Amino acid sequence: MGAARRIGAIARKEFIHISRDWRILVGVAVLPLFQLLLFAYAISFDVRNVPTVVFDSDKTVQSRSYVDAATNAGFFHVTGYVTDDAGIDRAFDRGEARVAIVIARGFGDAIVSGGTARASVLVDGSEPNSAELGRTYALALNNSFGRAALVSWSAARGATRSIGALEPRLRTWYNPERSSADFLVPGLMVVIIMIVTVQQTAVTLVRERDHGTLEQLLVSPLTRSELVVGKVLPWAVLGFIDTIGITAVSIAIFNVPLRGDVAVLAVSMFLFVLCSLSIGLVISAIAPTLESANLIALLISFLPGFMLSGMAFPLASVPIVLQGISYLFPGRYMVEIARGVFLRGAGWPVLGGQVLALAVYAAVGLGLATVLNRRRA
Amino acid sequence: MNLRRYRLLVWKEFLQLRRDPLLLRLIFIMPVLQLIMFGYVVGADVTHLPTAVVDHDRSATSRALVHAFENSTYFDVVERPASESALLPLFDGTRVRVAIVVERGTDAALRRGETVPVGIVVDGADSKTASVAGGYAAQVIAAFNARRLATAALAGGGPVLDSRVRVVFNPSLRAVNAMVPGLVATILMISVMSVMSQAVVRERARGTLEQMMVTPISRADYLAGKVTPYVLIAVVQMTFIAVVGRLWFGVPFHGDLVTVAIGLTLFTFTSIGLGLLISLVSRTQQQAQQMTMFYMIPVMVLSGFMFPIESMPAPIVPLTYFIPLRYALVVLRASFLKGSGVMDLWIQLVAMLAFALLIFGVAVTRFQKRLSE
Repeated sequence: MGAARRIGAIARKEFIHISRDWRILVGVAVLPLFQLLLFAYAISFDVRNVPTVVFDSDKTVQSRSYVDAATNAGFFHVTGYVTDDAGIDRAFDRGEARVAIVIARGFGDAIVSGGTARASVLVDGSEPNSAELGRTYALALNNSFGRAALVSWSAARGATRSIGALEPRLRTWYNPERSSADFLVPGLMVVIIMIVTVQQTAVTLVRERDHGTLEQLLVSPLTRSELVVGKVLPWAVLGFIDTIGITAVSIAIFNVPLRGDVAVLAVSMFLFVLCSLSIGLVISAIAPTLESANLIALLISFLPGFMLSGMAFPLASVPIVLQGISYLFPGRYMVEIARGVFLRGAGWPVLGGQVLALAVYAAVGLGLATVLNRRRA
Repeated sequence: MNLRRYRLLVWKEFLQLRRDPLLLRLIFIMPVLQLIMFGYVVGADVTHLPTAVVDHDRSATSRALVHAFENSTYFDVVERPASESALLPLFDGTRVRVAIVVERGTDAALRRGETVPVGIVVDGADSKTASVAGGYAAQVIAAFNARRLATAALAGGGPVLDSRVRVVFNPSLRAVNAMVPGLVATILMISVMSVMSQAVVRERARGTLEQMMVTPISRADYLAGKVTPYVLIAVVQMTFIAVVGRLWFGVPFHGDLVTVAIGLTLFTFTSIGLGLLISLVSRTQQQAQQMTMFYMIPVMVLSGFMFPIESMPAPIVPLTYFIPLRYALVVLRASFLKGSGVMDLWIQLVAMLAFALLIFGVAVTRFQKRLSE
């Protein structure tokens, strides 16, 4: 009974600390929503209107129709014409163009008379994501243009000829409209919660130590573990409220579907918040000063926490050693669960293992944090 | 400014850093960790996607198509279920990320000269895979079509379009080649800002700032002394990243060091200025820390460091012009990969100069004012 009262007192004290500093409240309440909006609006995966220069030495109907065909798909956007190779180099060097379409002299003649029409598409590879797409569009353009040229050449000679072609028809399961919010939100909420909670808990104990108030707390009847629990409780509550807020915003504003079992999501999110808190507590046990606590928290939550969660970068394509390390961070389990519940409509049977992993992680993490903090005293 | 005082201040700052051995170690672990993460995780090229093939056609054409997929490094055919209904459990269990479905009659329709769809199913729960797999598949199919087209033109006569698609500057399209130059600027920003934003708040919180001000040290001395150690550290970090990126990750460097140096110097001033501003407006170290995060996360997203600016929605794009990192990234990537010089990049350099003057200027005046309060 006494323990519960003491924990309650510490938790209340922590709440008072938080409510005194409106900036922290902003950090906990506004920042996550701001990040969610920013990511969901700013990141999209279709590249359009890539600035393109044209070097047309042919200047015929055919060469113009080749350029038109290129711009029709909406990917290449012609921003200028140049008259020599140096013009292309200049445009690339200055970053004014990312693609150059070069049409050789005699292009139109060759199309009409049945020769070899020469052209090339140069893609600036310094931005690999859009370059990859540029290559795809250019190849598709060449196919359809070449085919049309062949068909109309035959037609001009009175022959009907048709050449079959395969056409990729893309279906995106779980997200048929390819909405970037659906792609991002389930992973994003995990990362945001992790960044907020790790950061905040990492500094709470260090700050008490820095201010000398930790000693005062220790001479009170509080035990070490009561102190840790009391310190963590408010952040656990806030983290959980954040989760609910983010979920509500995702569903209400971004129309992200919630197809699976909400209970799985709630349980695992609670466990995940505990996991992040335990990471924060371990940091605060290790770090000697506020600066280093801050820096470690930033490093851990941003680098492995975000990068190795599988949220933005598929884990299957990273080296095997890093895949192994990714199991040491709770983000990877939670991203899997969030995607499963939101998009794939999964429930306990599919995700049970991941939830269990989180539970074990939380137990081990909190245990370790308590031991480390006790030793520190 | 007094050189001796300045030297002593720098010395004091280093002594203070040494007091917290963990912090010092972290400052050097940070670039290593970032290189590993950005080089191997963000810079990882998505290849060997586990793929399922459903071949209803079972013809020479469909086999040739599947073969073309197997031959590309992008796809690993790991499952060949007999029907599409078997695909869902494979996707649910993340056993496969991509499926290719060849309908019955594909071969016959191709012979009739029709355009035949090939089903490409991608896992939409995994954003990166979903966004690249479709493109890869389209490239494999385009190459397949090109071969058919060439054969047809050869057999029946007619024009041949000989149009090469060539990637210049980074022909292998390795993501890491674009990542490392960007990382040099980003790590400069992260490390200068996160340490700088703490520097003055800490002194004020401890009350040592006032003690400092009653000594003969001038404000300029103080500021320069405070800034120098962190700039030196950042220079060491950047050099480390550039060298490891060049030697270990094999990132090419085609540019000249002068352009890079000018760009980075201007960018350093904006980062110091921002760090200082944060330090001046926050009351506690935690607030400073939080504001730094608040600034850095949108910057990382909107600068084009991780996601191409071209893919951002039109209303967002104007915002990116207010981010100094955006210009620094253009300068570094262009000089690393394309060999662009000062003349090519003058717009970016002028933009950074303007930011440096504005931000650093405001920070210094605010700092002066703050101290005289």
